[in-house]
Amino acid sequence: MIGVILKSMTKSNLIYLGVSAILLILPFILTGRSVQFMITQIFIFAIFAMSYDLLLGYTGIISFGHAMFFGIGAYTTAIFMDRFDASFGALLIAILVAVLFAAIVSFIVGILTLRLKSHFYAMLTLAFAGLFLVAAEKWRTLTKGNDGFTFKVPEFLRDSTTIYIVSLICLVLIFFGLRRMTQSPFGRVLVAIRENEERTVSLGFKVLHYKVMVSVVSGVVASFAGVLYMLSLRFVNTSVFHTDVTIDVLLMTIIGGVGTLVGPILGAALIELAHHWISGLANVHWIFERWIILYGTVYILVVIFFPLGIVGTIRSKLSGGSMQKMLSKKKAG
Amino acid sequence: MDLIASLTVNGLATGMLIFLLAAGLTLIFGLMSVLNFAHGGLFIWGAYAGVWIYYVTNSFLLAIIVAIVTGLVLGLITERLIIRPVYGNHIQQILITLGFMLVLQELIKVAFGPDQKAVHPPAWLEGSFQMGDVILIKYRLFIIAIGFLLFLTIYLILKKTRIGLIVRAGVMDREMVQTLGINIRFVFMAVFMVGAALAALSGVLHAPYSGVIYAEMGLEFSILAFIVVVIGGMGSFTGSLFAAILVGLAQAFMAYYVPALSLAVNMLIMTVVLIFRPQGLFKVKG
Repeated sequence: MIGVILKSMTKSNLIYLGVSAILLILPFILTGRSVQFMITQIFIFAIFAMSYDLLLGYTGIISFGHAMFFGIGAYTTAIFMDRFDASFGALLIAILVAVLFAAIVSFIVGILTLRLKSHFYAMLTLAFAGLFLVAAEKWRTLTKGNDGFTFKVPEFLRDSTTIYIVSLICLVLIFFGLRRMTQSPFGRVLVAIRENEERTVSLGFKVLHYKVMVSVVSGVVASFAGVLYMLSLRFVNTSVFHTDVTIDVLLMTIIGGVGTLVGPILGAALIELAHHWISGLANVHWIFERWIILYGTVYILVVIFFPLGIVGTIRSKLSGGSMQKMLSKKKAG
Repeated sequence: MDLIASLTVNGLATGMLIFLLAAGLTLIFGLMSVLNFAHGGLFIWGAYAGVWIYYVTNSFLLAIIVAIVTGLVLGLITERLIIRPVYGNHIQQILITLGFMLVLQELIKVAFGPDQKAVHPPAWLEGSFQMGDVILIKYRLFIIAIGFLLFLTIYLILKKTRIGLIVRAGVMDREMVQTLGINIRFVFMAVFMVGAALAALSGVLHAPYSGVIYAEMGLEFSILAFIVVVIGGMGSFTGSLFAAILVGLAQAFMAYYVPALSLAVNMLIMTVVLIFRPQGLFKVKG
């Protein structure tokens, strides 16, 4: 039994590494800037969506303010690059500050609400994200308000192929890192919390510690995605704090498949492609400018009829519907 | 003195509007532990539907009636189509109601256009009373009066009637009420519709108060309502009135003295409550 699992593990690892290798060669074949830029966006949002999956998929925590961490990463980078010289050293400090800032905020939000019912975390993150959005709009000396600003990035990151490869490497490293984490005893406890929190408590685990820790890790990874986003975009405005961003990442995670890590990557690709396609259609009919209606409707339908997402559904088919049973049991309870 | 009085009236009026929104939220949560993130969408639909009728007919009373009806209908739709399919699964409920909130918000832009709309109070509520050197704006007093009246009405219904008894019992222990042969789903649907109507009413009353309406207002305002529900205690009706007045006053005074911090001050109150009294100021016993 263990031998089979080990074998399938290495097999899946080989597949992931193979796909990564293909993606690594890809920019030398597809040299168009806009194509490379779009795939880079997919990588960045895949990182962001994985950080969300850690909360929603593995631990069963809902955050409605994940855009906040993304925005923290984005604004920290933008402000550092704008205020100081666009050197590699400044970038490293910016990353450090962004990550620390996100860790502190997620720690505070987590410690305040994670001991209560799941609704509280959802509400408080929504409220905090609102606060950050207002702050970014009002604190004009620092953020230049709604209009945002452009800035320079370090010389070697200006090439679209370089930023593509940097994002890909970050994605692969973070993916394997998070996968390792979810398969570790720590990750098992997270899943146990998702499945049955009371029982996990009675088994002697300090559930709050685990939840706060995972929310900090998630916040940090999300803010790092924000940093990468800025490096590829070189322009910031308050839209990084909008609820739309949170909805995007929610949709990516849920469509791809919660609790799978691969799912959110797939979801990110789908949603980014859909964005691209729909914004192309905006000239055809004005309704496509209101794409949130479409997204929101898809999202509602997916939550009701397709809660396992693409990867989750495939996996449950392969494993003979045990996931399906698990979910229906959860519904009844 | 003049300033403090007018800020207090402002704060009370804002508080009453938040209370109307929070009252539905807290009762729905208490009954079915469903936190309706789409509540702000009902608020904004009430505002737009009411203002539209107000533009067409020039009658503010008719606008209020239309807003309430819109709230009832949308409440029914929300409960049937959005919340019922995912009963018992909190994660799905939370996720789905936020999605519906955004759909409602965008549908506003489709139906009424994405631009802000200016709204003035009706002639019979325009102007102000002068008491000594204190000027009291009529429309704000009107909101406060309606808010208190509704609070008293609902409070009496909850405390004095059989329906209220069932709702209060349901908030404390849903299973027990069901065991006694009461269709709690039906009660829940009714409460949900009333809650939605209160949210829509809050929306239409808010329109002439703030002077403009825009689609994103729903989400902004519902964040205040969430803060109120947390401070007042989830499921507590009286608690949400006190918390709403507290938040309204804090908002009004901060908006005058330190405008940049008006949202932050409410977050601060909520944080303090969460640290020292996470169950809220008025926890429902049971």
